[in-house]
Amino acid sequence: MGSEDDAALVARTVAGDSAAFGVLVDRYAGQARRVARAVLGDPDDADDAAQDGFLSALVKLGQYDARRPFGPWLMRIVANAATDRRRRRNVRRSEPLDPSLVGGGPRPDAVAVQSELGERLRSALQELPERRRTAVVLFDVEGYSHAEIARILGIPEGTVRSEVFHGRRRLRTLLADWKEQVR
Amino acid sequence: MKDMSSDFRDPELAAALRSALEPRGDQAAFVARVMAQYDHALDRGTVPTLDVLASWFRPGIAAAAAALIAGFLLGRAILTPAPASFDTALAPMEGQGLAALVTAPDPPDASVVFASLVEQR
Repeated sequence: MGSEDDAALVARTVAGDSAAFGVLVDRYAGQARRVARAVLGDPDDADDAAQDGFLSALVKLGQYDARRPFGPWLMRIVANAATDRRRRRNVRRSEPLDPSLVGGGPRPDAVAVQSELGERLRSALQELPERRRTAVVLFDVEGYSHAEIARILGIPEGTVRSEVFHGRRRLRTLLADWKEQVR
Repeated sequence: MKDMSSDFRDPELAAALRSALEPRGDQAAFVARVMAQYDHALDRGTVPTLDVLASWFRPGIAAAAAALIAGFLLGRAILTPAPASFDTALAPMEGQGLAALVTAPDPPDASVVFASLVEQR
């Protein structure tokens, strides 16, 4: 069942096969959780939003057009669920960095280095406008095309290109600074 | 210098972001958590039949009333005979008809009046 295509799994789900829906959730869980985390920042909030997205998609599966790819349709619902959750809740800001990791302390080990880079990237992402960071994550991390992202975010394709360009510029600068620092 | 065009993916940035956004908990646990809400979500998302019927109640009543009024007006228009025109009344008939009776210079004989009435029927 793992290799069954999305449209077939959707059809089986609509027919009442919950196991087919389970395969879809398993297939898209990582992607949905990352996209939700890009929007919300907090991993627990992100998981709640991703769950909302999957369950909302389950209820709306009858509206899905099987001629189109399932991923962008689902990610649109997940991104909307994350945005709704962010609006409803006063989302906790990212924890401040541990001063010992920022610099001046002993040279951290590889895990700590990776952890700090992750923290910095997450902080940088949260500084970007929501649409911009979601566009970058959908393009670079999840591999969606500009046209698909345009459909997911409900914006023109040219705007997606612009958002990806500006978002990357900020993140690449941060990444380059980081590499200089740990060299 | 790196290509800043947004047409190509940046593997280095992608890997760093993927790592930074990696979910905290186990995927199997997340899938189980979603599936635990499967039935509840479907129950919540399904609109009960009575609600559907209720949503159609008002438009249904309005449509029925409009159809009733339209039917009444149409029926009345069909069943009410149109008043006969003066020309129809004076139309020439075989034998001694109404026209002969009205245009005759002398008072008609009673048998002529009777015959005219019978012909009109």
